[in-house]
Formats: sequence, C-alpha cells, structure tokens
Amino acid sequence: MRKFWAVVKREYIQRVRAKIFVLMTILAPAMMGFFAIVPSLIFNMQTGGPVKIAVVDQTGRIYQRLSAVLKEPYEPSDLKQEVTELQNANLDKNLKRFSKNGGTNIVLEEVRPDTTPIAAIQAELERRVKSKDLDGYLLLPADLMNGGEPILFSRNTGDLFTSRQLRDALSRAVNAERLGEANIDTVTISKLSKGIELQTVKAGAAAGERDSGEAFAVVFAAGFVMYLTILLYGQVVLGAVIEEKETRIAEILFSSIKPFTLMTGKLVGVSLVALTQLAIWGLAFAAFAVYGVSVLAERGVPVNIPGIPLINFFFFGLFFLLGYYLYSTLYAFIGSMVTTPQEGGQLAMPLVFLLLIGFYFFLPVSRSPDSTFSFWVSMIPCFAPVTMMVRIVTQTPPFWQIAMSLLIGFGTVTLLIWIASRIYRVGMLMYGKKATIPEVWRWLRKA
Amino acid sequence: MTEDNSTIQLINVRKSFGDFTAVSDLSLSIKPGRIFGLLGPNGAGKTTTIRMIVNITAPDSGSIKLFGRTIDPGLQDRIGYLPEERGLYRKMRVVEQLRFFAEIKSVSRKDVDARIDSWLSRVKLSEWKNRKSMELSKGMQQKIQFLMAVLHEPDLLILDEPFSGLDPVNVELLKDIVLDLKRSGKTIIFSTHQMELAEKICDDICLINRSRKVLDGSLRQIKQGFGRNAVALRIEGDGSVLNDPALVRNVEHHSDELEVLLAPDVNGQVLLHRLVAANVKVTKFEMIEPSLNDIFIEKVSEAA
Repeated sequence: MRKFWAVVKREYIQRVRAKIFVLMTILAPAMMGFFAIVPSLIFNMQTGGPVKIAVVDQTGRIYQRLSAVLKEPYEPSDLKQEVTELQNANLDKNLKRFSKNGGTNIVLEEVRPDTTPIAAIQAELERRVKSKDLDGYLLLPADLMNGGEPILFSRNTGDLFTSRQLRDALSRAVNAERLGEANIDTVTISKLSKGIELQTVKAGAAAGERDSGEAFAVVFAAGFVMYLTILLYGQVVLGAVIEEKETRIAEILFSSIKPFTLMTGKLVGVSLVALTQLAIWGLAFAAFAVYGVSVLAERGVPVNIPGIPLINFFFFGLFFLLGYYLYSTLYAFIGSMVTTPQEGGQLAMPLVFLLLIGFYFFLPVSRSPDSTFSFWVSMIPCFAPVTMMVRIVTQTPPFWQIAMSLLIGFGTVTLLIWIASRIYRVGMLMYGKKATIPEVWRWLRKA
Repeated sequence: MTEDNSTIQLINVRKSFGDFTAVSDLSLSIKPGRIFGLLGPNGAGKTTTIRMIVNITAPDSGSIKLFGRTIDPGLQDRIGYLPEERGLYRKMRVVEQLRFFAEIKSVSRKDVDARIDSWLSRVKLSEWKNRKSMELSKGMQQKIQFLMAVLHEPDLLILDEPFSGLDPVNVELLKDIVLDLKRSGKTIIFSTHQMELAEKICDDICLINRSRKVLDGSLRQIKQGFGRNAVALRIEGDGSVLNDPALVRNVEHHSDELEVLLAPDVNGQVLLHRLVAANVKVTKFEMIEPSLNDIFIEKVSEAA
C-alpha cells in the first residue's frame, strides 16, 4: 500500500506543480468564455458601410411596407429555436441585438419599373452592382402576392446577415399586405398577431425562478466539461504510460512494484489531479455566482445564473470519475502497447470518437431525458458520463437509475482494469515494436 | 547444487516466448558476498534470466529461490536492479527521483534524505541535486540510475551492463563502489558482454549462449581449466635449454619476450629449474592464463 501511495503522490505532485496545470486551470475557463463571447462580437462586427439594395417592385405595393418593416426592431420570424439550429439561433440572436442597437444596416432604394422593360432595368442594376454603387438588388415579381418568388441578386451571396433580414422583412411585408387586402384593419392585425413569449420554468422550481436559456447553458456546460476533462486526462494517462515505456523506467519500476499497483496508482494519481482542477473551477464558478453576479448587477449588467443543486456537483464528480477511469484504463492499455506518442495518438483515435459520440448524445437526451433511448444510452458505460449527467441536470431520473448506471459503469471499469493490468506488464517490457492484436490476445490468455 | 547459503538458486529454469526459447534448463547457484558474472553474447538470455530473478517475469518451469525462499514481491525490496534498458523521469528533479525510487523500495522516510546526500556526494553529483534529470549528461544520468539501484541498501545488487557508455574515470568510480559493496557482504550479479571488465571484478562466472549455460564456476578454476601451459619469458644469456623437445614444444618470439609452450607433462616449475641450472638470468617469468575473452570466444564458437 505504501508503494501504491508513493506512485499516487508522485503523479499528483509532479503534475499539479507543472506549469501546464496552472496554465490550463486558469486558461480553460478563460478560453470557454472566449469562445462564448468572441463569436458574437465578431458577428456583430460591421465592416464597411451599410448595404445598399435596390428594390424593383413590380407589384407597386410592397416597397413602402418593406422599408417600414426594416425600420422596426428586428424580430426573427422563426422563433422555434431548434436546438439543432444552434448556430442559426445564435445568428438570429445577434441580428436581434444588432438591430436593437442601431436599426438595420440595409439601405433600400426604390426602382419603379413603370414602362421600362424589366431586362433593361436589370442590365442597368447589374452595371451598378458591378461598379459597386449597389450591393445588390431585389426583384419582386408582379405575382409576388400569389406565390411569385422574389429574387435577391447580390454581389455577396454569402452575406447571410442581409439575406435573412431581407427575407424576414419581406415575408412580414407581404403578410401585412395580404391581410390588408382581406380588409382586416392593421391595428387589429397587430393586436391579433402579437407574438407570445414562452417562458420555461423548471417544474417544482420556486415561483419567479424563471429560466430563459440559462438551464440549457448549464446542460451544455455539464456535458461539454465532462467530455473535455475526460478526454484531456485520458490523454495525460496515455502520455504518462508512454513516457515510462519510452524512457525504460518501467523495468526498474516493475522490479520494485507490481504492475497492477503501478497502473492503478497512476490512474488514481492523475484522477486526483483532475479532481483538483475541477474543484478549482467549481469554486471559481461558485465565487462568481455569489460575488461576481452582485458586483455586475450593481453596475447594471444583469447576469442570471440558474440555481444548481449542490448534489449535481457531487454527481458530476462521480460520473466524471466513472468516465475518467473507463477511458483512462483504455488509454493506459493503449499506451503500454505502442512505442511512441505518435503511435499512441493514432491508436487512441477510436476512443476519441467514442467519447465524441457520447457527447453528441447530449442533444437528443436533453430534449427527452426520460425516453427509453435516454435510459439505455445512460446505462452504457462509455456514454453514461455525459448522457446521465445531462439527464440529471435536465430532469433528474429516479435514484435507482443513477445508481444502476454507476454500478454498471464501475463494474465495467473493474473488469477493464483487470484486463489492462494483465497486458500492461508484458506491453511495457516489450521494446522496439508495436504490439499486434493477436499478441495482445495471447498475453491476456497467458497472464 | 545443495548449498543452502546461496543467495540465489535457480533450478532447471526454463522460459520461452512463443516459439522462441530464451532460457532453457538453467541451473545456477550464486553465493553471498561474491561478484557473480553473468556473461554471454547479446541475446543469450541474460536479461530474461535477470528479469526472472527480480520477479518481473515468472519462469515457465523450474524454481528460483532467493535468500532461501521462493521469490515473492516482498523480496523485491532486498534487490537493487540496474537494468540495461534504463531511464529517468525527464522532468523530475534528481532528488525527487531518488526519493521516489527509495520510497517504492520501502526505505523509511527519515533515512532517505541523508542517504541521498551521501550517495550524491560519493558519485560527485551533489550540485545536481535539484536539477531536472533531462539537464544531466548521459553519464550523469547513468550514475543516478546506479544510485537508484543501491540507495535502499539491497542485499542483492543486479547490474546489467552498468558501465556501458561511461568514461574511464567514472567506470573506476563505480567499480570501486561495487567492490566496496562486495566487501560489506552484498551479493552482486554483474551481467555484461565486456569480458575484460568481468575478468577484473568477478569472483564467479556463468557463461550462457543461446539460452543455455555453457560454463560456470569460479573464475580461477575456469582459467586453470583452460590453461594452455604456456609461459611468458624474458631471459638474458644462453637460451639453448629451450631447444629441448622433451621440455618445450614451441617458442614464439615477440618483440622483447618469448612465449614458450611447454611440452605435455612439463610444468613451469621444471622449466624454471632448468633455466636456473643453465645459469640463465630470468628477468620475467609468468604463466600465461587464457583471457576470459579467449575462453568466451572459444566456447561460443564451439557451440555455433
């Protein structure tokens, strides 16, 4: 036991003291913040002047409405905010924010077709687009009201920002016009068509504890942090095993301690490093939730941090350990089979995919956490850390399910450690070439 | 093979990997307080034998006894092992590294630091104590690895090619330490294919080739067994005695001395008598022993 703790201590102290650990502990939250904030900042960046669009209105009625709609604050037409359309939802949100700040950046110019043939008008507009006098022109067919398709000729077809805004504004203008045609009073229309906003409140939550997206952020963060830390620390174990093999320390170690003791000591040591890091992040988050939010609120920046039950942090720790031990044992196994970090990286690819698949499951699971699919996927050990955690955060399953998932998981881990330690000893002492699968199978049977 | 006081006793040990037999039917007995040379060409099975002795791998058949007991992990603490394939944690400081290896050999915490200091000063690396091992030269690293093997004061020290790559000064330094350890009663297994070195420090040897023991015994006996009955001779005066075919079979003239191969049944003593009787002045008279290298080559090529 003393030898085991010596290995644990060595792994822990050497790693926690390393610059990379300190750096990662500080940088990781900063980086997550960076990725959360910077894209929206960039989306909001407007380089160059306003977008000039000429509108050839062959209906003769839509232009006024369109330009009026564009002057209103932007409201995305599609409020469904499908989770799978995260990116789009994001864009819409940014569009919304942008138009709130300064209205639209689209400048319209009306071109009346009158008697000029449409081809001639188009040719003239094409010329102006080419000479950069215009950024594009919108062709509204005469039968627009009856299903005719408007076409946007744009110099920059990649400008989603503009095309989306135009599409939404146009469809609203056309709708309004159609309703007007049906002799419905516009005031009544706006009253009748006033959108509602759906508020999501977690069932059982205290009244007034509103939830507008933050809970989703928590689910996402839980899944993502889980995925990332398991991957990260799995790689640490892989590196540690390969180092001992590459530098030939293994032989001296094996002459002093049992391979099983060495391997488990290493796994435990690195897991403590990971828990230390997670604890630091958790405390930083808590400190922010308690002090940071109130300070920001005083300065007029409202930040809404949803209440996370403390037990969830505990579950996070448990499921992290499950995922960590599962994947790290496999990483250790791979590390003992290869001779260089490069080979290790290649052989470990399937593990990364497996982890990634588990991470992707967080979407379907977060949508229906109590479905049969969610149940089974949270019982499979290699997916359980992310999926069960997502279930716990969204809609805590009955305790027996959590317990069962943990039981199956840690049972699998025990089995894996038993298998891996058998192969570990032989693999670690084999220098010069990568082990083949039949060889590994033979070691396993003989050990 | 019944000496009960043997530090190590191997009886009919066999180990194979798949179709390849690394060690076959090896029996050895290593006595305490002696330096035992495990000799053989590359790939003969030396490292496999050692790995079985330190309990890294188990023999397929046969038995191994250490200190009179069947080997078990607990006995590992009484062994110090410097493998041929060896390394250090690159980013760990020398002192931490030594402390860690002492700890996994169950050295008590309070003794460790004093021992580390005294050993570091002995191999003249005190000022490197707090450096990371990747900053050390290869020779320095090798000395640290040597310390890792001796720090816990093992009763059995196994050194696999301990001097390879060291400069002569450091070879002397480590050799003196090894001889000191022997004097203090430790048993030492010294595995090498460098025969000159083995010849200088080994008391007993075992020569293995292609997984089999070819020869073993004390170095002296073995050399006597290979005696070619020759004398290195330098004389002044009339050397006609040497022309007697009943006494001398052949004379080879070197630059300033003669190599005299004696006739069968004639020993050096007889030749010396005859020379003195013939009033020849003898300035050098030395029985030529075969070098271990000669024996090694002869035995190995014989088997081939």
